[in-house]
Amino acid sequence: MAEPLGGRHPRPDAVMKVAGSARYVGDLALPGMLHAAIVAAPGAPARVVSLDLEPARAVPGVEAVLAAGDVPGANLVGTIFPDQPLLVEDRVRMVGDRLALVAARTPEAAWTAAAAVEPELEPLPGVHDPVEALEPGAPVVHESGNLVRTFRVRRNAGGDGAASAPVVVEAEYRIGGQEHAYLEPQGCLAIPESRSRITIVASCQCPFYVQHAVARVLGLPLASVRVRQAHTGGGFGGKEDYPSEVAACAAVLAFATGRPVRLIYSREYDLQATTKRHAMVVRHRWGADTDGRLLFAEVESFLDAGAYVGLSTVVAERANVSAIGPYHVPSVKVDTHVVHTNNLFGGAYRGFGAPQVTWAHEATMDRLARAVGVDPVEIRRRNLLTGESCTTCTGQELPSPVLAGACLDRATELAAAWTGSATVAPSPHLRRGTGVALVLYGCNLHHGGQFLDRSSAVVILQPDASAIVRVGLTEMGQGNLASAQTVAAQALGLDPSRVEVWEPDTATVADSGPTVASRGAHSTGLAILDAVRRLRRRLDPVAAGLLGCAPGEVELADGVARVAGDPSRAVPLERVLGEMTARRIETIATGWWRSRPRWFDEATGLGSPYETYAFACHVAQVAVDPELGLVRVEHVAAAHDVGRILHRDAIEGQIQGGIVQAMGWGLLERLELDRGRLLNPSFTDYLIPTASDTPEISMALLEDAPGAGPFGAKGIGEPSFIPTAAAIRNAVCDALGIEIDRLPFTPPVIVDALGTAHPFADLLD
Amino acid sequence: MNLPVEAVLRPRDLGEALSMLAEDPSAVPVAGGTDLVVQLRARRRHAPVLVDIGALGLDRIAVEGNALVIGAAATMDSIARSAAVREHAPALATAAGQVGAWPIQCRATLGGNLANASPAADTAPPLLTAGATVTAAFPSGQRRIPVLDLFEGPGTTRLAPGELITSVSIPLDPVPAGARRVDRFVKLGPRREQIISVVSLAVRAALLADGTLADVRIAVGAAAPTPVRAPAAESVLEGRPPGGAARREAARALQEDIAPIDDIRAPARYRRLAAAVLLDRLLGEISHG
Repeated sequence: MAEPLGGRHPRPDAVMKVAGSARYVGDLALPGMLHAAIVAAPGAPARVVSLDLEPARAVPGVEAVLAAGDVPGANLVGTIFPDQPLLVEDRVRMVGDRLALVAARTPEAAWTAAAAVEPELEPLPGVHDPVEALEPGAPVVHESGNLVRTFRVRRNAGGDGAASAPVVVEAEYRIGGQEHAYLEPQGCLAIPESRSRITIVASCQCPFYVQHAVARVLGLPLASVRVRQAHTGGGFGGKEDYPSEVAACAAVLAFATGRPVRLIYSREYDLQATTKRHAMVVRHRWGADTDGRLLFAEVESFLDAGAYVGLSTVVAERANVSAIGPYHVPSVKVDTHVVHTNNLFGGAYRGFGAPQVTWAHEATMDRLARAVGVDPVEIRRRNLLTGESCTTCTGQELPSPVLAGACLDRATELAAAWTGSATVAPSPHLRRGTGVALVLYGCNLHHGGQFLDRSSAVVILQPDASAIVRVGLTEMGQGNLASAQTVAAQALGLDPSRVEVWEPDTATVADSGPTVASRGAHSTGLAILDAVRRLRRRLDPVAAGLLGCAPGEVELADGVARVAGDPSRAVPLERVLGEMTARRIETIATGWWRSRPRWFDEATGLGSPYETYAFACHVAQVAVDPELGLVRVEHVAAAHDVGRILHRDAIEGQIQGGIVQAMGWGLLERLELDRGRLLNPSFTDYLIPTASDTPEISMALLEDAPGAGPFGAKGIGEPSFIPTAAAIRNAVCDALGIEIDRLPFTPPVIVDALGTAHPFADLLD
Repeated sequence: MNLPVEAVLRPRDLGEALSMLAEDPSAVPVAGGTDLVVQLRARRRHAPVLVDIGALGLDRIAVEGNALVIGAAATMDSIARSAAVREHAPALATAAGQVGAWPIQCRATLGGNLANASPAADTAPPLLTAGATVTAAFPSGQRRIPVLDLFEGPGTTRLAPGELITSVSIPLDPVPAGARRVDRFVKLGPRREQIISVVSLAVRAALLADGTLADVRIAVGAAAPTPVRAPAAESVLEGRPPGGAARREAARALQEDIAPIDDIRAPARYRRLAAAVLLDRLLGEISHG
């Protein structure tokens, strides 16, 4: 039997999902179940003049119509700040704000009833740009003002370098948001039992967030709210905090009617109302010496949070400390503003603020390379963190080995070795370009979120030497079941097919925090290892008895317990478990993990925001058709500092998916707004890449710098996304010989950037 | 989600379908439904009664006399794969093979693509350049309408209430001896597949033995309220070789033929430049054989 670690054994959820037997929320129905719909505000901001719900109540099949006053507990959602009502009372702040909830016997009746309500709204002046929102006299979204918070880094700021740098580049980057485009829209099923307890089955990343939100709106103890994660058809951050709102709606209706209530969003409402990657404006002023060695970096960023705080402050925390990338910079000044507007709701999305600032710092590095007259790869090599100069943006010293340079080397080697595209024919209309981008990714939660950085697991060994594993972090397609299964199988010496990992249920494990920040495999795996460690205190003596050795000599591998150093002395684990069962020895154990405390000063932004870091480098090779503004990404070379590979298919899938998703953000995906209303709320007009747009991908997975995760693993979910769009940006600018500073690079943006240099521009004179 | 439709009528033959459409002014014919169902679901269109014309035998593709006749219910997939279409109207075959995704092509029909009257309808430019006519039937007879006269504006046609497109007829106009038929279609969008055209362009002409073009016809999609012919560009090219100076002159003249607007898919300026580039490139390809 091959060792599970680093293998390609079948992912446990693959067949059920591909074959269609996995049951998602939309496949679940219960007798008497009602369907929910939302009365949503069509415009914002506005004052609610009146809300007549009778037209909804008059629709046949409607069982309940609820307004703000009908919420039994607190009329409040919002994960961090109590600024967002479940149901609006008097003030609409964003398009899609909920005014009332409907439950009916069919989804059609529910949505028809919701549409029958015509709220009387008095429009108020809105604000739709995060920079303008901070100007004096701008309309305010909340009375507390539009500036939610500013995060800072000050390290030798204003030192000699800033005054005397011979080469200074400045730029303003306007970076668009992004829709998660998960295959399965938001949805959940709420099952009440009398009015004392409730079960929620939710498509979600963070069942414990949902548990808290439902307990709050129902006024129940946490213990009375059970949340089971349903199979979840994609999350990417879009099912981090938002499902709490969906579940709160369904739960309130379920308690009002006493019946199960299912709420499933239409794609249009999902696109309009749910969270998005933040649109950002990033301003740079960076200086270097004449060799291109960085002397100072000044970054000022504005995150468009939309009307509610949501997770924006947490996103900004990561954006703030990621602002200068994996470079050694003696003097650093970073300001990261979180700003309210009446635009879309900014929130969590794979990369969590880092992709935007990375896009900016990698654009600036290429600018500097051109200003100094050195190659973009060479200027990075001169500035990358190394074993000798390894002080991050926040002044954190990184332990050796530091793989930034190794990632750059491996990715550029893979790019150089690529022999050309089989799919793009040579054409006189195409110009080719190459771009490079690097990221320094802080693994797991930022210092500010460390109180959530914990994880619970339960392992139950069965008499037939199979194992049930209960975990607190979710599977949403990223491979958490596969990595958890691999870790448990490796630790127990079992074949992975003998380990069944079940999706989280808040009634079986302790609050394990959110499944975010590339922490799934890390947190889940370490909690499982802790549980196995505790189980072995009982298992090893039994095995030792059968083997005739000391308990400390027992090792588990290949489905047997054996004597370390003498593998011929072995006994099948099934026999060990049979013996434990016969002797009624406890075969269940819990496991727990929490991250180590560390120091970080919020006022200066100095310290250790993260425990460990992962580096990555992507090199994009593109073919640009400048006359039509079309970009074909032909090849992406990706080198990642992964610590240790747990499951090879899962990690490669993450990297491939991250690259394609980031390519969509960089080139295609536009959230077109008219005063906060999304003008393209469909996949007809919000375009994401198709399979035929995907580039060829080459990978190097570097296992030379162990992380703090199980067996040395580091997170991969976010670093796989973060550098790609920046590398593509640099490749396109390399091909065209111009700078383009707004994302996405849609064909009209590229053609516009060429201006009168477009060969047909004179035709329009 | 349910559609706001009260009844779907299933006539046994064309005559019954025409009676149903004539009797109820609110009745709308449906075949593949790939546009109609989306519009009904989004409440952009009101059609309480649907008349299913998908099973009336209107899907034949055949050469009849000196015309290629394509039934209104022929699917994009069958058109793209038809040997007769590929021989006589290759631009149409190309266009049909680029509508939406393949599952859409297996449902969407030619009659529906025309009746929906999108400015971006992919089959319209190659039918315009081919000089195609539609046959529209009504209970007491039928009439032929040039595709050129069919479109009135975005989403509207000149079909009378109750009239049903039953087929599309493409004349088999032979090219002069020694000449070569040129019939090309190209569409443009921000990704490689599954796009609604930002601009589309069809060119049909005879390339004479002396290297000049004759009977030049150009049509553009998604660059005006309806798909349009491009007479200014056509007259620039008539009697001239497709390469050389004529290319740029035609691209310039094309600007007079189109009237794009800024919309969610692209700004007008981009559409103008892109139309010029597409025409320039097609002419370049033609001149290089």
